[in-house]
Amino acid sequence: MKTLEFEDVHYAYQEGADVLQGVSFSLDEGEVAGLLGKNGAGKTTLMRIAMGIVGAQKGSARIFGLDPRKDAVEMKRRVGYVSEDQALPEFLTVGEVIRLHRRLFPTWDEPLERRLRERFTLSPKVKIKTLSKGQARQVALLCAVAHRPEVLLLDEPAGGLDPAVRREFLETSVRLLNETGTTILFSSHYMTDVERMAGRIVMIHEGRLLIDNALDDLRENYSLALIPQEGADRRRLSDLKGCLSVRVQGGALHAIFSCEPERCRALLAGELEIHNAFCTPIALEDMFIELVEGRS
Amino acid sequence: MQLHINPGDELPIYRQIMRQITDAIAGGLLPAGAQLPSHRDLAEQLVIAPLTVKKAYDELERQGLIMTQRGKGTFVSERLPDVDPEQRRERLRDSAQRLLSQAALSGVSLTEVVNLLEEIQKGMGR
Repeated sequence: MKTLEFEDVHYAYQEGADVLQGVSFSLDEGEVAGLLGKNGAGKTTLMRIAMGIVGAQKGSARIFGLDPRKDAVEMKRRVGYVSEDQALPEFLTVGEVIRLHRRLFPTWDEPLERRLRERFTLSPKVKIKTLSKGQARQVALLCAVAHRPEVLLLDEPAGGLDPAVRREFLETSVRLLNETGTTILFSSHYMTDVERMAGRIVMIHEGRLLIDNALDDLRENYSLALIPQEGADRRRLSDLKGCLSVRVQGGALHAIFSCEPERCRALLAGELEIHNAFCTPIALEDMFIELVEGRS
Repeated sequence: MQLHINPGDELPIYRQIMRQITDAIAGGLLPAGAQLPSHRDLAEQLVIAPLTVKKAYDELERQGLIMTQRGKGTFVSERLPDVDPEQRRERLRDSAQRLLSQAALSGVSLTEVVNLLEEIQKGMGR
C-alpha cells in the first residue's frame, strides 16, 4: 500500500477557475518528494486536501489508505504538517502550545522535544505573539515532528526564514528520515534545499502534473538545448519527440528535452538539421524556470 | 576525510559523493581497509537525504571500490578492482580534454601541463 496517494484530484475555488485538474501521484514509505510549481499552481491546495482541511471536488487523497476527512483523527495522529501561514494561538506560551500537542499525540517523543527545544533555544515561558517569524516557525516544526510522524507535509516551511533556520529545518528532517523512516512531501522555492532532500520531483503546472521523476533522472537524462534563433523553427522544435518546452531568450531558443545532451544533439541534427545547438545537463532551478516560462 | 557537496552543481549529489570518495581512494587519503562513515551519519553530516548517500555507496560497491560488512560498516576494498585499460582511458578522456582546453586558453604548453601533472603526483605521495 502506498503511504500517500493522490488520485485524479480536482479542485476549483470557484466554478471555471480550476486550480487542480486531475492530479495523481503517490509516495512509498520513506520517500521524499519535492513539490514544485509557480505561485498559485495549487501546491498548498494539494497539501490542504491531503490534511483534510478542504475536500477534493473530484478524485481523492489517501494517507495510509485513510480518508483525511472521514478518518481525520486517526490520520492526523500519524502525520505532521507545517504550513506557510501557520497560525499558533497568540495568547499562549511556547510551553503551553507544546504541552497541548504532547497531550494530543500518543507517540510524542519527549527527548526529541527537548532536543529540538534546546537546539532552537525556545524558552517555554515566552508568549507566542512575541516570537519572531523564524521562532514561530520553529515552534510549528517542533509540534509537527515531535510525535515522530510517519508522514510529514511541509508547505513552504522555509519561506521568509534565514539560511541558518532553513538549514535547521533540513537537519531535523534528515534525522527524522534516519530515525523514523518518515515519508516527506515538501514544497519550497529554495531549489538547493529541494536538491538536498528530495529523491523525487513532482511539478504541477496549470493544474496538472508536468514532471514526476527521480531527481537524479532529471539531472542525468534531461537536457537544455540552446539554439541560435535564425534558422530554427520554434514550432517544429516543440513538435520533436521528447521536447517539453521552448522559449526565446536573448536571441536564442531554449528547449528542454527528456534525453541526455548527446542524444539531444543527435536528435536536433538528424531531425531538423540543426548543427550548432549547445546541449547541456541542467540544474533543477534552471529546469524549473525553463519549463514554467516555456509553457505559459 | 571531509566531503563537501554543492546541490546546484552540474553533477547530481550522489555522483559528487562518488567522485570525492574515488579521488580520496586514488590519492591515498583513504587507504585500503579504511572505514567510511555510515550512510546515516554521512547524510546528517552533509544534510542530504540518506537514500542519496546509500545510492552513492551502492554504486561504489558495485564498482568494487568499497565493501559493506554487515553489522560492522563500510570499508575501502583491500584489493581495488582491475579496470579494463580501455575503460580507464575513456574515463580519463573527458577530464583530459577539459584540462587541455583550459591550458590552451591560458597559453600553457603541453610540456608545462605534463610537468604540472608530475608535480601534483609527487605531492600525492605515491
